[in-house]
Amino acid sequence: MTSYLQLSGLNKTFGTFTALEDVNLDVQKGEFITFLGPSGSGKTTTLMIIAGFEKATHGAITLEGQSIAALAPQDRNIGIVFQNYALFPHKTAEENVYFPLQMRKVKRAEGMAQARKMLDLVGLGGFEHRYPKELSGGQQQRVALARALVFEPDLLLLDEPLGALDKNLRESMQIEIKRIQKTLGVTTIFVTHDQTEAMSMSDRIVVFSNGRIEQAGAPLDIYHKPSTRFVADFIGESNLVPATITDPAAQTADSPLLGAMSYAAEGAPAVRAGQEVTLVLRPEHLKLSRAPLEGYHSAQMKIETIVNFGDSGLVIGHKDGTQLRVRVPGVDVVILQEGDDCYVNWTQEHVYLVQE
Amino acid sequence: MTAVSENPVRTGSASARPERASLTPWLLLAPLAAYLAIFFVVPLAQVAMMSVTEPTPGLGNYEKVLTSPLYRKVFLNTFSTALLVTVCCLLVGYPLAYLMVHTTRRRAMMILLLITMSFWTSFLVRTYAWMVLLGRNGPLSWVFLQLGWDEPPQMLFTRFASTLAMVHILAPYMIMNIYSVMQKIDPSLVRSAESMGARGRSLFRHVYLPLSAPGIANGSVLVFVICLGFYVTPVLLGSPREQMAAGLIGRQIEEFLAFGPGSAMAMVLLVVTLVILAIYHRRFGLDKLYG
Amino acid sequence: MNASFKLIGLLVVLFIAAPLVIVVPMSLSSAPSLQFPPPGYWLGYYAQYFSDPTWLRPTFNSIVIALANTVLTMLLVVPATFALVRHKFWGKSLANIMMMMPMAVPHIVMAIGYYSYFGQLGIVFSKLGVILAHTCLSVPITFLVLSANLKGFDRTLERAARSLGATPSQTFIHVTLPILRPGLLISSLFAFIQSFDETVVAIFISGRNAETLPRKMFDSIRQDADPVIAVISTLLFLVVLAGLLAPHVLRLTRRLFGRPATHTEPRS
Repeated sequence: MTSYLQLSGLNKTFGTFTALEDVNLDVQKGEFITFLGPSGSGKTTTLMIIAGFEKATHGAITLEGQSIAALAPQDRNIGIVFQNYALFPHKTAEENVYFPLQMRKVKRAEGMAQARKMLDLVGLGGFEHRYPKELSGGQQQRVALARALVFEPDLLLLDEPLGALDKNLRESMQIEIKRIQKTLGVTTIFVTHDQTEAMSMSDRIVVFSNGRIEQAGAPLDIYHKPSTRFVADFIGESNLVPATITDPAAQTADSPLLGAMSYAAEGAPAVRAGQEVTLVLRPEHLKLSRAPLEGYHSAQMKIETIVNFGDSGLVIGHKDGTQLRVRVPGVDVVILQEGDDCYVNWTQEHVYLVQE
Repeated sequence: MTAVSENPVRTGSASARPERASLTPWLLLAPLAAYLAIFFVVPLAQVAMMSVTEPTPGLGNYEKVLTSPLYRKVFLNTFSTALLVTVCCLLVGYPLAYLMVHTTRRRAMMILLLITMSFWTSFLVRTYAWMVLLGRNGPLSWVFLQLGWDEPPQMLFTRFASTLAMVHILAPYMIMNIYSVMQKIDPSLVRSAESMGARGRSLFRHVYLPLSAPGIANGSVLVFVICLGFYVTPVLLGSPREQMAAGLIGRQIEEFLAFGPGSAMAMVLLVVTLVILAIYHRRFGLDKLYG
Repeated sequence: MNASFKLIGLLVVLFIAAPLVIVVPMSLSSAPSLQFPPPGYWLGYYAQYFSDPTWLRPTFNSIVIALANTVLTMLLVVPATFALVRHKFWGKSLANIMMMMPMAVPHIVMAIGYYSYFGQLGIVFSKLGVILAHTCLSVPITFLVLSANLKGFDRTLERAARSLGATPSQTFIHVTLPILRPGLLISSLFAFIQSFDETVVAIFISGRNAETLPRKMFDSIRQDADPVIAVISTLLFLVVLAGLLAPHVLRLTRRLFGRPATHTEPRS
């Protein structure tokens, strides 16, 4: 079975600068995919290639089995919500939403009715006659969404659409976008550099770095089984510990910092004995104790700083000049003291082996 | 730039559309380029030509224009007047701009409106207004009479009259340039300087003046250059004995049909103007001048 | 220091305002020559201006020339501005300088050039000649205003239009042009005013046939100081005042009547 949208071997160079390198991705119909990565990682470039505003230097791009690489942007039937919404300032909300229908030769009366229906769906009934500058950021966002959806696009692209909104509004818009996407069942690609946004909204996350896809998978898989050091570092908080493989078959490694330990077998890449690797330990998977815990790997450290978040705390400790971060439940924060000696404990399934 | 550009190379580069980048700009630019070539460059070149061919080929006109005492006096007069006007504009403009930044918003808007009004009123109307003000039977003479001055001084057709009018006409350029720079001076900078002990004159000299200097430079260059080539006001208000360069060029063409010397003077005026602007351009960029 | 600054400010304001205001009473004066205070007031010189062909013809000439100049300037400058703002090409900075040159050359220099060149072409002392010359002089200011507008134009809007199904030309007509309209209007206005006010070149090349208003005023001021000049000055001054106050008045009326008019353009 071929996928709905397929990117294969995409490359993009600007002069000597490589913006994209061998990007391959299959998207299923109705999926909500997030491109996650820091700025300059290639996620927006990929989006613009899909939209038709950039041409890939090499590679193929197909939608429902048809190559769309040669199509002009206006012929691709792809809806886009831009970072700054790009609402036409000289048109009212409903005229903005009517615009794609107007371009598709839909009669004005009929098109306006459709536009109003779409505005209702995004919760903007009653704002039809407002101009963009008379709308709040969140409302503009909804108009942009309605405009990108009203012509029933084959694909919806969202380019960091929530970046300009404040935190509360951002969270409610996340839920709203997700709701509308589910209602319409439109295949969606969402670009962001915000990992919590990616985690909460996506069916699948594609992590970009330096023009390449580092990892693609379900949010929890990406979180729990980072396949590269970059992903482990970029998504969630991590303690990254250098180590040397001792026995690949038994999943054991030796770390100068934390001593010999075994690591999780699932998702670990193939390694050989003696190879230098990085082990990832999530702060929330570490447990603090006064004495080593039974059945755990343990190491001693000195507590340097305690940051209290109320519902939880972050304990930052030092061992041999290297920082270790441990997340502890809120109740534990009060009994810990800066300067205390204590033990960190962890189990094998929470040690992820990643490649550089 | 557009907010979608996350990649520094694409921003502001034409590579987004390599397939069309080559011909389109030339086609768009061609009509204007051709027009300027035919109706701007050619007539200008003709002035240059006439300066070395009329009435006889050679550099005679330049020799005359650059060495004869009459011409030298006119050039000197032109420069000194331009300098004087620039300094006066600065003396008039700087305090007003300062006031506009530091007074209430409402008052600043009123002053701004007045300045814009003056700016948009034609040179000729403003020159005429000064003719009215400074005339033998004008308001100023009337005031002098009321003050018991039997024979009010002759003000019209003097260097004083033309200088005053030119200051009035060009002051808006100076004020707008300084005002736009001053407006952007971060008040917290001034406050932090105050907190470090800068007061009054030293605060002004070490903080305010350097920060507003670009506006002063812009305004001064603009005023000086316009003044160098000023024709209307000096001709109508100034003393016939103390002509400025543009006026003399005009007279030579109008009255004597002396295209040779007139063109040579015009070329000297042009070169001086362009040199000043070129120096300015290299240091600051011309596009900022009229910004 | 504050009080003295205020006093200086007040004096400067007076200095700037007085000449603008003085022409108004003079235009209403019944004296046949400049005299202050006016011996009496009447509207006779207004009547004279509006009935005297030696004044009306130059006014008409100026309007025709300025209009033609505006159309020609916009036709040439708009595409060139798009080229210079939106494209990168070899020789771009040279082209930029070229656009600004007519502003840098003293008008008296151009006046001699046109006088002799248009004499050879046989269009000196004709409206056509003045229009052609003024168009060159209008290029820089028009370009400056327009390019500032175009630089501020968010090109994402065009991408948005394309993604919504508009072809490049539809995008231009439905999105680019309407959004740039205020900028186009303002730059046209600049072109018009620059031609309408231009004096030096007109003095030398407009002759009797194409005599413009500034030329007629210049000659009149120099020769007989016709009191009608005060009338024209007042009228021109009032036009400027109206032009500057119009946006405020419009905004006020809009606020009074609630909803904005059909188009509320962004300040780009």
